[in-house]
This record gives sequence, structure tokens and C-alpha cells, in this order.
Amino acid sequence: MTPMWYIVLAAVLFSIGAVGVLVRRNAIVLFMCVELMLNAANLALVTFSRINGTLDGQIMAFFAMVVAAAEVVIGLAIIMLIFRTRRSASVDDANLLKY
Amino acid sequence: MVKLPPMDYAAIMPLLILFGAACLGVLIEAFVPRRARNITQLLFSLAAVIAAMVFVVKRAGNVTAANAITAGGAITIDKAALFLQGSLLVLAFVSLLIFGERTLEQGGAFVAQAAVTVGSEKDKEQAAKSLGSTEVYPLALFSLAGMLLFVAANDLLTMFVALEVFSLPLYLLCALARRKRLLSQEAALKYFLLGAYASAFFLFGVALVYGYAKAVDFASIHTAAAVGAGNITLLITGLGLLAIGLLFKVAAAPFHVWTPDVYQGAPTPVTAFMAACTKAAAFGGLIRVLYVGFDGLGWQFTPVLGAIAALTVMVGAVLAVTQTDLKRLLAYSSVANAGYLLIGVLAGGQLGLQSVLFYLVAYGLTVIAAFALITLVRDADGEATHLSRWAGLGARSPLFAGIFTFLLLAFAGIPLTSGFMAKLSVFGAAVDGGQTWLVIFGVISSIILAFPYLRVVVMMWLSEPGESTPSVSLPGVLTSTALGVGTIATLVLGVAPGLLLDLADKAAAFIR
Amino acid sequence: MSAVQTGEIITFFILAPLAVIGALGMVLARNAVHSALWLILTMLSLGVFYIVQAGPFIGMVQIIVYTGAIMMLFLFVLMLVGRDASDSVIETLRGQKVVGTLLGVGLAGLMATGIYQATRDYTVVGLEAANKDGNVQGLAKLIFTNYVFAFEVTSALLITAAVGAMILAHQEKSGVKAVGQVAKMRERFLPGNYPGPKPGPGVFATSNSVATPAKLPDGNPSQRSISPILPTRELTAAEKADKPTLTGGA
Repeated sequence: MTPMWYIVLAAVLFSIGAVGVLVRRNAIVLFMCVELMLNAANLALVTFSRINGTLDGQIMAFFAMVVAAAEVVIGLAIIMLIFRTRRSASVDDANLLKY
Repeated sequence: MVKLPPMDYAAIMPLLILFGAACLGVLIEAFVPRRARNITQLLFSLAAVIAAMVFVVKRAGNVTAANAITAGGAITIDKAALFLQGSLLVLAFVSLLIFGERTLEQGGAFVAQAAVTVGSEKDKEQAAKSLGSTEVYPLALFSLAGMLLFVAANDLLTMFVALEVFSLPLYLLCALARRKRLLSQEAALKYFLLGAYASAFFLFGVALVYGYAKAVDFASIHTAAAVGAGNITLLITGLGLLAIGLLFKVAAAPFHVWTPDVYQGAPTPVTAFMAACTKAAAFGGLIRVLYVGFDGLGWQFTPVLGAIAALTVMVGAVLAVTQTDLKRLLAYSSVANAGYLLIGVLAGGQLGLQSVLFYLVAYGLTVIAAFALITLVRDADGEATHLSRWAGLGARSPLFAGIFTFLLLAFAGIPLTSGFMAKLSVFGAAVDGGQTWLVIFGVISSIILAFPYLRVVVMMWLSEPGESTPSVSLPGVLTSTALGVGTIATLVLGVAPGLLLDLADKAAAFIR
Repeated sequence: MSAVQTGEIITFFILAPLAVIGALGMVLARNAVHSALWLILTMLSLGVFYIVQAGPFIGMVQIIVYTGAIMMLFLFVLMLVGRDASDSVIETLRGQKVVGTLLGVGLAGLMATGIYQATRDYTVVGLEAANKDGNVQGLAKLIFTNYVFAFEVTSALLITAAVGAMILAHQEKSGVKAVGQVAKMRERFLPGNYPGPKPGPGVFATSNSVATPAKLPDGNPSQRSISPILPTRELTAAEKADKPTLTGGA
């Protein structure tokens, strides 16, 4: 076994997340799928860090986590705002804007 | 012992000023009484933008290859970066003026308390009389600072962080409209979810590029790509994923679906800010990635990006024809313009770069003026953006209808407007760069796109004003200034584009 | 650690399927809370992978920040939103799920094989040299040299997040004045108001369900004893009958 299997795992997790965003409706679950994609990217970064022998990958994973934390706060605040008026977190119900 | 890398403070001063001003802006929220907040915040933000601009101009004289890269290799302040930063500051200055307008509507365009449930008693109360929230200024400054960093980032990590720094405040700003709050919140949700999705693609792209190049700064990526050792699948896939993230921000098809909804739902000042500044920043980042990082690939990606550009110009133009809402119409027009800009990017070389830089400024100023004018046409429910409501506006208010006609002609690319010069330079560069097929698509798209613009013009002038024709409010000083600057710039850049073209020509050089 | 040792192989082949199951579970679970729990499983597995791959710091941060803070925030919001958060099964876009799934399988296959092919002959350098002063020290050195500007700029992100959460969630108190004790008492003893405490559910009742109304001394059920949001439970004949203690054990 080589560490490349981690990258393959990362690609699989990333794809699952990407599909999740396409097939799910609940805004919170959609957002979790995005988090899964970020996690997959982090796994790839940490593994490449080991393959390349530099710590830059781990640093980037660390920054990605900080960014994700800030993003989650804003995202969940927006979702709560919508929920408070609509009583629904389904993205199908967010349908006022269309042509 | 770890030593801080040398920082060229003169070079990064604009960034430091804007970040510092944004932090102070948050404090102003806490300590300045509510009545005085809007004017304090507005003047403070404008002063910060001007101060940043002063440092950009001061820096422009003494950029050398030796002093461009600073902050431990994280930032490149080269001429192209300075040009983009300067244009971003100018565009942001003009859009901040619209942010500050309070005479059109009691309390301005922003809601006082976004947390109040839509439709509740409290909401009706605050819609009528509360002062608008002023946190929008520090948020806009954070966003602007992020954009300035984004166009000057020298590695993909800094770029990713900057991308988020400029996106997160925009998601928030979208949710803060005073009228039609449900639409505004929905726009924020859509923008946020799709934006987060795109940035996840960007991050995975960063990971793959890092795997291939063993580093993420553009010089190393360039070297690795130029050598092209081993299997370059990783590099190409990585670039593809990076491009998805960036093309989302520039609103290129098929990643444009958020644009109409967000442009329509967001408060109009924010739409103006996004249309001008986000586009400039995103294209700044895109050209840096393509010209500085990946040009070693020998532009293998040109066919794919060319297909995207062709698709973008066609989708934007065709869908613009079917629109019945002015903000959506301008959104699809902005999609089409992203396509024209992509054609300029693909033209490559000095000429292509110069045309893109010129286009960004010319388009940004025109689009800000157009959105400023949309804030003026209102009825009891706020802005009347439906096309049918604009019928007969020429008789009601010939001056504003005339200005809007002029701006639409600029979008359509009629001579003597900046739109014409911009399109001419982009298409010229593309023919020069051997991308004639893209120019054909661009010209067809321009012809299609002229139709919806002319329809608006015809409606405004040739229809009789009816009962439902809204009045055109007299703008306050701020909106008039923004409108005036945008319109005059559209005219001047159309008649005498030489100065800006020269400047763009001098700036069209990256330092690796 | 550049070479993969047996222990790592075993860890990988236990945790990698778990991570994939967690990811699939998150996408497939109907209930959003279950989705969050599945995702936590994936994130914990990834945390272990980071530690195994010479990144103890990043692994612990993954567990503390991602599972400990971010996912808890998700769960908080799910609790606020309530159990209604599960998905509808109606498809708005016909065939969207099928197309999405096919796309996903295609994407996963392409990316996994492409990346595997591309990286197969890479030499693994390993992090022994980079970590020789310790992993945390190595990371700190990079954060405070090459990436110091990005590190400073993340503070802007955190401020934006704090300001944003406040704008979207904080409501200023409206001008309603606090009501004093005297005024409260007056209101309580106004004619038409029942001043006593409400009867507790189950008092004089034969069942201790909160949905069972209390019986008043005259034998009628008291509507005041149950919460208005609960459906009133019809009493059976046996429950309506007086208790043996009242009838004298007859």
C-alpha cells in the first residue's frame, strides 16, 4: 500500500459531497456536504504534505479549518434567518427568485 | 529562532489601511450615537479608500522586479496588481457613495435590524422609520480589502483566504435589504450555498496543484508546469478545479446560475458594488493564476476556456432577451460581459491583458451608474424594477431616461461610449491572439444583446406614461455624484480612451 | 514514516470504509440530525488519518475544531430549527437525483483513477526531516514566516463572522417597559382572571400522562390543566369512573 490510497479516498469523499449538494434539499444538509468536500480537500493536503515532505500542506489544511469555521458561522446565521421567516430549511421553498 | 520575514510596508499599506479602517468601523458602531453613525461611517470609509488610493499611486512609480514580492513571498505588488487595486478602490469609492444615500428613502437602502422576522409588527414598525444599519460600511471595507489582497496574492493559499475574506461580507450584505426582505434573504442563501460549493472546488484544486508542484506559490507552479515532469494529470485536474472556483466568482456559464437571483435580491447599492468590484477582483485573480502560474502549461487549457467563453456570451445574451426585470436583465448582461472579458483573457499576451484591464474599469463605472439610476425609479413599495413599469419614463423625466439610454447604449457597445472602446480592444486583442472564432461568437452575442437594451430604450421613450409609471425621485448629493461620475466616465472613456489605455498598457506586466 | 507500516495499513482499511460509510450515510440519511452524526464519524476517521500521517497537531485540531466546534454548531442549529428539518421526498426537478448520482459516480471514478494513475509513481519523501524539531514547531515556523500575512488576514474573517452573526441574529430590545410586581398583582386579580395556580396534570386523574386532564372536585376534566398545544385525550369509561378510594372501596 502507498499513501496514494489516501488521495483516492479523498477523491471519493469529495465526490460524495459534491453529489450530496446536488441531490439533497435541506439547506443545512447541503452545507454539511460542502463541509465534507472541504474535509476531503484537507485529507488530500495532509497526504500530499507527507508525500512532498514539506509542511505547507498541513498549514493549508489548518487555514482551511479556520476559514471553514468562519464560513459556518455566517452560513448558519443566514439559514437561521431564512428559517425564522419561512419555517422551512428546504432550498426548494426558497423559490421567490426566478424568471 | 524564527524571524518575521521582511515586510515592505509601503507596498502593503493600502491593505493595512483598509483592514485597519474596517476594524475601527466596527468600533465606531459601538461608540458613536445612532443618529451620527451613517455620516461618520460613510466619511470614515471614504477617507480610508482615498488614503489607500494615495499609497497605491505613490507606489506606482517605483515598482521593480526586486521589490515587488513581499511578506514572505505571499504578496506581489507588481504593476498589474497596482492597476487592479487602484481600479477597485475607484469603483468601491463610487459604490460607497450609493451605500450612503439616505434621501431617497427614510433610513436608506439597508434594513435596521436584519434579525427581525419579516412581516411581524416590529418589522412594519422598523420599515417605516428606523435608521438603516451602518455595519454595512465595515463589511464593505473588509470585502474590499479582501479583493485588494486577492488580486495581489502570490500563492494559492493567500488567494484562498482572500477569496473568503471578500466573499463572506458579500453574503451578509446581500441579506440586508430594507424592502423585499424575503427576496434579499433568499439571495443571500443562494449566494452563500453556491459560493461555499465553489470555494470547496477551489480548495481541492489547490490540494492537487500542491501535490504536483510541491509548493503553492506561482513561481514554483510555473516552473513545475514548464518542466512538465511525469504525469501532469494532477496539474490539469487541479487547474480545472481552481478554474471552477474562479469562474463561479466571475459568473461565467455554466457557473452563472446564482447571478440573476443574487443581483435581483440584493440591495441595489450592494448589487452595484458586486457587479463592479467582484468582477474586477475575480478577473484579477483569474488572470494572475493563468498568466503567472499556469502559462508554463503552454495554454493547453485554451480550448476549454474558449468553449466556456463562447457559452457564456451566448447564454448571457439569449437569456437577457427573455427578462422582464431590469436588475435581472443587467445580471444577464453582466454574465455576457464576463464572457467578453474571458475572450480578452484568452487573447493572451500584453494586448489581451491590457484590454481586460481597460474593460474592467470601463464596465465597472458604467454598471455602477446604471444601478445608481435604478435606485431612483421608485414607487410606494421601493424600487420599481419591472420592465413594464419603466414604460413612458422618458416623458416623466427626460433627463434620467436620457442618462439611462446612454448607459444602455454603452452596454450595447455603440461608438462614443466606453463600452464600444472596451469591446473593440478586447475583440482586437483576440483577433491578434488568434482567437477569431471567439470574436465571431462575441459579435453575434453583442448583436443579440443589443435587442433587450433597445427594447428598454423604446419602452422608455415611445410609450405613454400610465397610471403605474413610477416617479423618478430626485437623488441626493451622493447618488448624483455616483451617477455623474459613472456617466461622465462612460462618455470620456468612449471619446478619449487614450489615457486609461496607456495606463493599462504600462500596467499589463506581471512579476513572477 | 515514509514507508507505510503494517499498523497504518490496518488502520487505513478499518477507518477508510468507515469514512466512506459516514459520508454516504450523511447524504442518504433522511433526518438532518442523523446526517450530522454520520458526518462526525467521517471527520473523526480523517482526524486519525492526519495523526497517522505525521500530523498530530492538525489531527487534534480536526477533532477539536471540526467535530468539537463546527459540528456542534450544526447540531445546535438543527435543534433550533426543530425536527421538521428532515427532507421532503417530492422531486422538484424530475430525474435530478438519478442524474446527480450518475454524475457523482462518474466524477468519483474519474478523479480516483486519474489521481491514482497520476500519483502512482511518486516517491514518498515523508515528514521526518520537516518534523525533526517537532511538528508544532515546524508548523509555527511556517505560519510566522511564509504565511504570516494570511495568518493575520484570517482575523478579518473571524471579525466578519462575529459581526455577521450579530447582525443576523441580534435584536435590540423594543421599548416595552419592565412590568413591576404591583402591576403584575393588579392584573392577576382583575375580575375575570383566575388568580390561583393552574391545576397540575394528573391530579385526581387515573393516568399520569401530561395529556390527561386533571379532574376538578366535581368530577369534570379541567381544561386549564393541560397545555393548549397538546391534543386532549378522551378518557375511557374506566378512567372517568371515581377511584375506589372515593367510593369507599366498593
